[in-house]
Amino acid sequence: MPMTSWIILAVLGIALVAIVAMSRRRRSDPAASFQRQIDALSPEARRGVTERVRDLTADDARIDEESDDGA
Amino acid sequence: MARDLAIDLGTANTLVYMKGRGIVLNEPTVIALNRQTGEVLATGREAWQMIGRTPGYIVAVRPLRGGAITDFEITERMIRLLLQRVGVSRFTRPKVVICVPSAITEVERRAVTDAARRAGAADANLIEQPMAAAIGADLPIDEPIGNMVIDIGGGTTETAVISLGGIVALEAVRVGSFDIDSAIQSHIRREHGIAIGDQTAEKIKLAIGSADVTDDEVPAEVRGRDLTSGLPKTVELTPEEIRVAIEDPVSSIITSVTRCLSKAPPELSQDFLVRGMYLVGGGGLLRGLASRIERETQVPVRMSNVPLEAVVLGAGHVIEHYDDLKGMFMGARR
Repeated sequence: MPMTSWIILAVLGIALVAIVAMSRRRRSDPAASFQRQIDALSPEARRGVTERVRDLTADDARIDEESDDGA
Repeated sequence: MARDLAIDLGTANTLVYMKGRGIVLNEPTVIALNRQTGEVLATGREAWQMIGRTPGYIVAVRPLRGGAITDFEITERMIRLLLQRVGVSRFTRPKVVICVPSAITEVERRAVTDAARRAGAADANLIEQPMAAAIGADLPIDEPIGNMVIDIGGGTTETAVISLGGIVALEAVRVGSFDIDSAIQSHIRREHGIAIGDQTAEKIKLAIGSADVTDDEVPAEVRGRDLTSGLPKTVELTPEEIRVAIEDPVSSIITSVTRCLSKAPPELSQDFLVRGMYLVGGGGLLRGLASRIERETQVPVRMSNVPLEAVVLGAGHVIEHYDDLKGMFMGARR
């Protein structure tokens, strides 16, 4: 294998290690992880739950209506 | 690949939320066993129907009392059966988030996570019930404002003040709707001399139980076994006497709410007057309880749209955003 290939491989290896180290550092950064937690609790992030609540409430209303009709 | 799960392991009911699908199971936390062989005969609704009606060799039990595991082995078997019912096998091991009372001890905490791992979970983490309830009730807990949630379950009542994604003040008592049922049973035994079962006591609570004077109060008849003659007997009960009978557990619940309010920082206290407190959990459905809490604390009380499902929906949101919300797990904030 020519010398150039070894150099390219070494550079790629170093870049990969640097990327992994940076992403780990970002994950362990308390401020960043707190911000991610707050973002995940925002109304936009919770839209899925809100929609499921709406579905459940609609189901309950439908069951109530059906039982009223039955009575 | 298994879908990750959120479980609300309540004293009264167990609900399971599957990632990407929503609530897939909602059943009473009851298991029926053969007393001689130890084999599981039924779980959930089927087992609940057996309570107080089984022959000598069958026992139908609630493995949790006051939010705590009273029988570790039975709880583990029940969790294993629950996971099997929602499709978990030895080849599909999901991550599981379980909602537990915040006052749970270290030993109980380990018991729940060990039970889930042995039952097939790849990883099991716990989240406090009031936190999950606040997310499920759609309170803006990401903002720096006071959100107050009162979760009245079968065996525990937990009141929490939450702001910026964390619990600021918390008050928990091991009193819940089962204590209200027990108070009704004791009253009928003492004052009317008849014995009634757990399910009859619950029916009386639903029919005429109240924490405060309400409109359309009518008496109800109850049938039980006469303690003197041993024969079936019918007596008439008034809503007022039931209200007096359940005063002790109701007062304990209200006192714990008041204590939580007094622990809240002043900056957040003023938010409650505008935003009110949110009531979740089956116990919160007791007639007149919201108005009584409101009268005694002078803070508006609002009922969640989904009082019975709020906790599991909140835990479901956590499982949907598992990596970002890992910091909310019990033990992760130390």
